Amino acid sequence: MTSSRTENGAGAPTETALADVTMPQMGVSVAEGTVVAWKVAVGDPVVAEETVCEISSDKIDSDVPAPVSGVLAEVLVAVGETVEVGTVLARIAPGGGDRELRQSSAPRGRQTDAAPGASGRVSPVVARIAAEHHVDLSQVHGTGRDGRVRKQDVLAFIEALAAAPTAEPAAPAAEPPLHIESPYIPEPAPAPAAPSAPAAAAAPTTLSRMRRQIGEHMKRSLETAATCTTWMEADMGRVEAARRRLGTTALPLVARATVEALREFPALNATLDGERYEQHAAVHLGIAVSLGDEEGLIVPVVRDAHELSVEGLARRVKELARRARAGELTPDEVRGATFTITNPGQYGSIMATPVINQPQVAILDLEAVVKRPIVVSDDEGNDMIAIRPQTILGLSWDHRALDGALAARFLGAIRARLERWEG
Amino acid sequence: MATTVRPAAAADGVPDVPGHLTRADRIELLRAMLSMRLLEERAMSLYRQGRVPGSFYDGFGQEAVSAGAAFAMAAEDRLCILHRDLAAHVVRGVEPERILAQYMGRATGVTRGRDGNVHFGDKDRGCVGMVSMLPDMMLVATGMAMAFKLRGEARAALTFFGDGSTSRGDFHEALNWAAVQRLPVIFVLENNQYAYSTPTALQFAVDPVERAHAYGIAGASVDGNDVEAVFEAVRVARERAVAGGGPTLVEAVTMRMHGHAAHDDMRYVPAELLERWRERDPVELQAARLRALPDPVDVDALRAEVQAEVDAATQAALAAPMPDPATALEGLFAEEAVPLGDGRAPWSGFAGADAARGEG
Amino acid sequence: MPTLTYLQAISDGLREEMRADERVFVMGEDVGVFGGAFKVTDGFVDEFGADRVMDTPLAESGIVGTAVGAAVVGMRPVCEMQFADFIACGFDQLVNVAGKMHYRQGLAVPITVRLPSGGGFSGGPFHSQNPEAWFMHAPGLKVVAPSTPEDAKGLLTKAIRDPNPVVYLEHKHLYRRIKGEVAAGSYETDFTARIAREGTDLTVVAYGAMVHTALEATAPEQLDGASVEVLDLRSLVPLDEAAILASVRKTSKVVVLDEANATCAAGAQVAALIAEHGFEDLDGPVVRVAAPDVPIPFSPPLEQAVLPGVDRVKEACRDLLAY
Repeated sequence: MTSSRTENGAGAPTETALADVTMPQMGVSVAEGTVVAWKVAVGDPVVAEETVCEISSDKIDSDVPAPVSGVLAEVLVAVGETVEVGTVLARIAPGGGDRELRQSSAPRGRQTDAAPGASGRVSPVVARIAAEHHVDLSQVHGTGRDGRVRKQDVLAFIEALAAAPTAEPAAPAAEPPLHIESPYIPEPAPAPAAPSAPAAAAAPTTLSRMRRQIGEHMKRSLETAATCTTWMEADMGRVEAARRRLGTTALPLVARATVEALREFPALNATLDGERYEQHAAVHLGIAVSLGDEEGLIVPVVRDAHELSVEGLARRVKELARRARAGELTPDEVRGATFTITNPGQYGSIMATPVINQPQVAILDLEAVVKRPIVVSDDEGNDMIAIRPQTILGLSWDHRALDGALAARFLGAIRARLERWEG
Repeated sequence: MATTVRPAAAADGVPDVPGHLTRADRIELLRAMLSMRLLEERAMSLYRQGRVPGSFYDGFGQEAVSAGAAFAMAAEDRLCILHRDLAAHVVRGVEPERILAQYMGRATGVTRGRDGNVHFGDKDRGCVGMVSMLPDMMLVATGMAMAFKLRGEARAALTFFGDGSTSRGDFHEALNWAAVQRLPVIFVLENNQYAYSTPTALQFAVDPVERAHAYGIAGASVDGNDVEAVFEAVRVARERAVAGGGPTLVEAVTMRMHGHAAHDDMRYVPAELLERWRERDPVELQAARLRALPDPVDVDALRAEVQAEVDAATQAALAAPMPDPATALEGLFAEEAVPLGDGRAPWSGFAGADAARGEG
Repeated sequence: MPTLTYLQAISDGLREEMRADERVFVMGEDVGVFGGAFKVTDGFVDEFGADRVMDTPLAESGIVGTAVGAAVVGMRPVCEMQFADFIACGFDQLVNVAGKMHYRQGLAVPITVRLPSGGGFSGGPFHSQNPEAWFMHAPGLKVVAPSTPEDAKGLLTKAIRDPNPVVYLEHKHLYRRIKGEVAAGSYETDFTARIAREGTDLTVVAYGAMVHTALEATAPEQLDGASVEVLDLRSLVPLDEAAILASVRKTSKVVVLDEANATCAAGAQVAALIAEHGFEDLDGPVVRVAAPDVPIPFSPPLEQAVLPGVDRVKEACRDLLAY
């Protein structure tokens, strides 16, 4: 009997099922019993094994224990009533005191085994803290809405309990801040800007030494190379229009056309140093820059000029010229050219006999663009005079390395590009 | 409404300058077109065998456009390639095996299964993979050209796009931007007469070259089935770009000979239109040209060679694994920004530049 | 250490980075000659030239799309949308081209898109938006939103240096209202959250201008001495989940605050995160305060009714504290 009751009572209740209190069979032949007295009333808490009521049967009087802890939910049989064995006398709403159930990890649905306040709900954190500290929530006074037990309440309860030194700490240890303040590191104010004095690496030498060096170079060139000069006239109408649009002089456009022509005629992009003759695929373009009457001439080099667009060339040339005049060029920047362009046209000269920049095999001279009357033909072959901006392209070249025909074809290639310029 | 074939007119700035293509170049052009033709044929077959997930798009009949245009671009140039431009990938050096693996969604495909069919670009060869929203890539190409100009570099950007996509806002924004900033960008409009089922008559009211002029940029119209004409037009456009002359719109007039995708039977295209264009097959045109040379090219041998490559690539791609699902979340963000690399540039006109880069 | 406004801090960060890295350039409408609609780039064109402080055509799709192109050939564009609201015109390029590029093609797109966002000055429906949620929802984009001058500079620097597309929300209403100490020179701020004020009783999670609203609404004397922690998210993608959950673990009550429209705002993501991963630590429901789902109206009484103000935040905190 007892065991069956115990099994009945201790069998895992579902979360919502009420536990029955039934009329026990106090002997094999006993068929009925009478309720003599109720020991608890509806709404009272009951603890498992506690006497719920007293019954009387033919054979014996007995106490009926509660199968589970909880709250007496309903009474179905009144005092003095006689009922058959097995009849449900009362029902208990289970809950409280069963530790295994309480400590299950993920709570599913409602927490009906938690001690309900007037609102019947316990939040996850409150349940967890209470479980960790073995707190009977029914003992905790709730200060939340409708008397709900808040986290502060259970924590305060624990703190009050923890009079003994061995008790668990009153509140969870304060968490260290997970993030420090904004992680910048104050930096000292930046040092004042360095003075803009030019580097001394390529400080201009004295006038006379420079002048002497230029002279020696020119003389040597004329003595070594078999220098010839070829001229060709080019119509600069399109170039003038394009350069005005781009906001530059004609030089970068002529430079670009020259670079392309050099790729078509690699024999002009060559060096001849004593016996050593080498054609180059990369175009490192020297641009002659005048430093002034006293200071003379210098030829800074635009390296890999073939990789630059017209605007790129314009920018690089401007920068090199500026640095040349400021005396800031490094030795590397005046070495290694494969071809040179000189452009002294702003004073109105129309032709010159440029000297080749050793060890290159040619140099292009770009002089003034001048309006001239020239002969043009219309579609039907009629000739007439038109006024066009023209320039004379001059190419000095080394007859040891090439012949006049090639020089002329090269110049022609530059001219063709300039005259068809689409920019 | 039938559309007429416009002859390869001498449009702005396409001078009749012979001699830019060597014999080897012309063969290379045919080879690129054959690669595209045979790869797509094989991929279509694989699609019908159920081995290509999703949809399958091809550029049958349009091979000359992407082959010719890509051929005129230098290694240091950059391209945005679209879904009927497979020959451009081939010219830039993407291996056939990786292309077929890409269609089949394999781990060895160019996008490793992340995007499908022709939505790919080999970043190490200077190609940007397309998005489906057309013509978004026109703006990306414009931006690449913008960077080249800011840095003073002699480089150009090129993008392909179709007649349909000229109706969207990004077309306008790209042309306008490129014109205002005078950028070295080449816009190749593949006018293949149809955007899915929509003919050009329902797409725009003004001739594309005229529209280009309206933006203040150069425009040229070429026979999109003549690979050498397409090459020449783009070559000139590139020259203009690098000289600071700004953008060009090159309209390549061609015909879409297959449906929009493999699932489209294109019944809306008049049969006689297709018939007329069939007689102008771009691969056949170039083959005929090469067979007619004084020293004729053995086109059949070339075709067999390319077919063998495609066959080998098929085997390799079929043997490649599918991507590991565990990797599906990887690579959303980059750890470092590596810019696009240089691609192959087989045109003989770049030979000097190739060597120079080695020296420089 | 200098004290700068939020606006000056943004300028400062941008200027430092442009000096340090020649690949960085600014592009947007009226940013050059005019110095920007809000003067963030005032004077920049004199120092850096028109090429690097580029006045673009009126074309948001163009701005973002060309930025992608420039970025994939080695530059570091910083796009400025005149108002955050106009990013809608460039949505496709940002979400479909920039955001998806690395995942699909392995090609990095190092762009920064600055969005002057937020309301509170009668800007009306097209000049007051907080569109960050659209971009949190687009895989491949990072999204950051500083609330202090110090963070404005550091997050911008980090954003520019990030090899991925970063959407940077600068709140217009903070431009001149908020001042703070900002270290000179160059520094980065990681994309993480920051505790604006520590507390123990309740956490308010906020970002951007709402951080200041939260601080004001929950000052100790406002809530009868309650100790309220204010967590400044700073980074929305990546979202600092660890910091959020740590704060919830500490206080067990959380109010998530958005200036943006409530549905699917950044705070909705934060709330979902807490509900799923912080459930065990909660002592009350996750409360959200946000603008209702209407376009931000123009007339001051209407605008003030819509944008979350100090009072609304205070009431929400008070209720939750009492729960």
